[in-house]
Amino acid sequence: MSRVNCIVCLKPVPDPRRWSELALDPITKTLRREGIPSLLNPLDKHALEEALRIKERSGGTVTVISMAPLTANDVLREAIAIGADGAVLLSHKSFAGADTLATSYVLAAAVKKLGEFDLLLCGNQSLDGGTGQVGPEIAEFLGIPHVTYVRRIDVLDRGAVRVERALEYGYMVIEGRMPLVLSVVDEINVPRHISLMRISDAMQAEIPVWTSRDLDIDSGRIGLLGSPTQVADLFLPTIKRRREMITGAPDTVSKLLIQKLRELGVL
Amino acid sequence: MGVSIEMVGCGRKIAEKLKTELAAVLLGHDVKDLADQLVAYGADKVYLAESELLRFYHSEAYAIIIGELAKKHRPEIFLLGSTSTGRDLAPRIAAKLCTGLTADCMSLDVDDKGRLLQVVPAFGGNVMATVICPVHRPQMATVRPGVMKPPEIVGGRHGEVVEIPVDLKEEDLNIRILDVVTEEPRAAPIETADVVVAGGWGVGNTDGWRLIEELARSMDAAVGATRPPVDEKWASEDQLIGQSGKTVRPRLYVGVAISGAMQHLVGVQDSKVIVAINKDPNAPIFKASDFGIVADFRDVVPPLADAIRKLR
Amino acid sequence: MEFGFTSEQEMLRKSAREFAEAEIRPRVRDMDETGKVPMDILDKMAKLGFMGVMIPREYGGLEMGHIARTIVLEEIGRVSAAMANTLQITHLGISPIVTDGTEDQKRRWLPMLARGEKLSTFAVTEPTGGSDVLGIQTTAKREGDEYVINGRKCFISNSHLAGVLGILAKTGEGPKGLTTFVVQSDSPGFRPGREENKFGLRGANTGELILENCRVPKENVLGKEGDGLRIALGTISNVGRPGINAAALGTIRSCLEEAVRYSKQRVLYGKPISELQAVQWNLTDIYMDYEASRLLTYYSAWLRDKGERCDAENAMAKFCATEAAVRCAKKTIDIFGAYGCMMEFAPQRLLRDAELFISGAGTSEIMRLVMIRKVLTLA
Repeated sequence: MSRVNCIVCLKPVPDPRRWSELALDPITKTLRREGIPSLLNPLDKHALEEALRIKERSGGTVTVISMAPLTANDVLREAIAIGADGAVLLSHKSFAGADTLATSYVLAAAVKKLGEFDLLLCGNQSLDGGTGQVGPEIAEFLGIPHVTYVRRIDVLDRGAVRVERALEYGYMVIEGRMPLVLSVVDEINVPRHISLMRISDAMQAEIPVWTSRDLDIDSGRIGLLGSPTQVADLFLPTIKRRREMITGAPDTVSKLLIQKLRELGVL
Repeated sequence: MGVSIEMVGCGRKIAEKLKTELAAVLLGHDVKDLADQLVAYGADKVYLAESELLRFYHSEAYAIIIGELAKKHRPEIFLLGSTSTGRDLAPRIAAKLCTGLTADCMSLDVDDKGRLLQVVPAFGGNVMATVICPVHRPQMATVRPGVMKPPEIVGGRHGEVVEIPVDLKEEDLNIRILDVVTEEPRAAPIETADVVVAGGWGVGNTDGWRLIEELARSMDAAVGATRPPVDEKWASEDQLIGQSGKTVRPRLYVGVAISGAMQHLVGVQDSKVIVAINKDPNAPIFKASDFGIVADFRDVVPPLADAIRKLR
Repeated sequence: MEFGFTSEQEMLRKSAREFAEAEIRPRVRDMDETGKVPMDILDKMAKLGFMGVMIPREYGGLEMGHIARTIVLEEIGRVSAAMANTLQITHLGISPIVTDGTEDQKRRWLPMLARGEKLSTFAVTEPTGGSDVLGIQTTAKREGDEYVINGRKCFISNSHLAGVLGILAKTGEGPKGLTTFVVQSDSPGFRPGREENKFGLRGANTGELILENCRVPKENVLGKEGDGLRIALGTISNVGRPGINAAALGTIRSCLEEAVRYSKQRVLYGKPISELQAVQWNLTDIYMDYEASRLLTYYSAWLRDKGERCDAENAMAKFCATEAAVRCAKKTIDIFGAYGCMMEFAPQRLLRDAELFISGAGTSEIMRLVMIRKVLTLA
């Protein structure tokens, strides 16, 4: 089997245990993430794991990339400690506030700069945004096919892969010629842990940071200003509910609640 | 056609406001009679592309055909259902057309400037956001099944079915579908249940989850979940309720150990009666409920389930 | 003075914690109930490099220092004191081979120990005493190219798991009459004996070793004949006690987290008990014990990483951290009230685990004896 070189797109997401502390900037209407630690998007861990398994079976390299603030360095080093061969961070204030289209545009430009590759893997969606749009959009910008909801990848001999794509009830089996973008779901594998043996090298690895000047891009298509979608308004929905609190010992509240629900005819 | 019909209903309302035409795009093999249904539900026009190649969702072929159609006919607005197909196809097309796409909208409307108002729960705040795509066209949005009400069939509606020739052949493409396997869903879908009991992160572990299931059994209810229980595998993905899961409309919804993030609340806001049980008196869910009990669910759920069982 | 950790050390802590939470946490209850050692978890740890933290890189280890080792053990200990103990004892057995082994000996044993193919331990204690090292009765007689070892060792951690062991035996009389041997578990005449049923550190193995005309080649002597006491005391002081300190620190951390979490949730008199002064004082006392033990533990590790002698500091940290662990565990049980006495809740296990650390690597009384030598030089 010939070597299969993989690129994995990673996204640092705010730690879900601290989501209640996140605030929205009232002017730009974008998220203020400072001070909230980030972790590697869980589905991206599965993507990285799959890339490493492909590398173990076929040889080849695994490079991770991310478009994120400079603090994402930690997440990229973590990926190297897990097993990636190298990392590139795309970070610049002009990239900030991007919607999925502007994000995919920058990532695709970086992938083009990295040169030839066989598979681009990413998590099917992120924990925070959850749109699942970046994988297919990058594929379109690169002019290559994509498959989403991938739960199994088999690399075939003739420069092709066979994948299983999960459906709501069932699955599809698809064959595609590389290069290809694959978005993976968590059923695909169990990610490995950071190896203590790789930590020292990971901390010393050089991670280049590419800004808008390092990429062949149109500055009108990046960041907040280059995003076709914008948040026009934030509002509290009007919720018309009784808001009746029932207090007392467990037996009392049970009886009271049942009584009220029966009065309303819902129980 | 489920969500597609819901999109036709939604699109019809918007087309009326904009005083413009609503077209549906139908791809497949041997699907001509579905075109008539789409017209009956409200489409003025149906672009129909049929080929063996299109029998199942083929991302490359679908994107090429629809992309060409969109470039030729330049719609103002383009809507898709947020299913595994829609979430795969919409972004590909959005990138092809270099336009904006908002996923999993909870409501869609147009303002007097003809801008599509795409409402989603805002991440990081317990608020809703109205997203717009002011310049780029078409304005694209996806909506999950069950969020919009399906339209009524209007008798006597006429519409034009435009057949699009499909020149694409499998050899021209880089993807081949080898097999499609359908499986039976495991339980009755929660979106049709009369009573739903849902658990959240605060349930803590599988022992706690059993109490949720017990409460559901006592009421003959379906069991739903927020994202953390699904991640922890106490519940499965098809039990997820919220913006990125199912929208439920039961007569009674009981949220247990759920804090009440907007992403989840949008999935239950149409319930007739909402009950919340949470040990945090400041949990946002209480503001969105009819009845609230501040308590550790482990203390309240067993006697509640017991009392309900005794009723029957 | 620099009180922070480097980003490499932070990554190490994060990795160890994530592993412990994902792999060990779900098995803690089972380990405590059955007392069985989870070999599969040890296997996973081996593959990630946990066993070889102190082995030089040229033999396949991580060549990390004592601070790094402490971080790893603290994180494992925070989830399971038993698991931390199995790991730190393996480091203990490996250590004299690193410090006193010949090139040949290092090449023979270190790579497989780094890979975790075999676990290790160091056996001193006998029925005649552990504190009284010179009182051991195991003998080693030279016969041609071999030594023949006879005796019994008891209360040896990893007795039934270790494949490469350090054994202290008498080759002569007096302090210069002790020799350290490396004995492999497949040596003729060597076998583990009874396995102990401990009330704490369950899921870690402790037992007896029986040497009946156990034959080892002369190449298995570490250092020279007569070096045994120096090697044994040195390794226990520099590696054994610090290992226990780190594990005990993890236990105290666990007490702190359990106590804080519980007191914020438990509502009495209409409010969480974390608002009651009596509970608050217990919580702050646990916090002070944790920080003090942490500082002493990392300080002695720092001294050792600088290459300085620190027997007194290691002993002081051991005394403080292990006594604190017992104290904090009891306070945690008391905060939990009746729930603290139930096997279902963690605090009772923390107390049972903590108590076992008191007698390992020298009792608190012995720690005072070690410290007094330094104390008397201070004025």
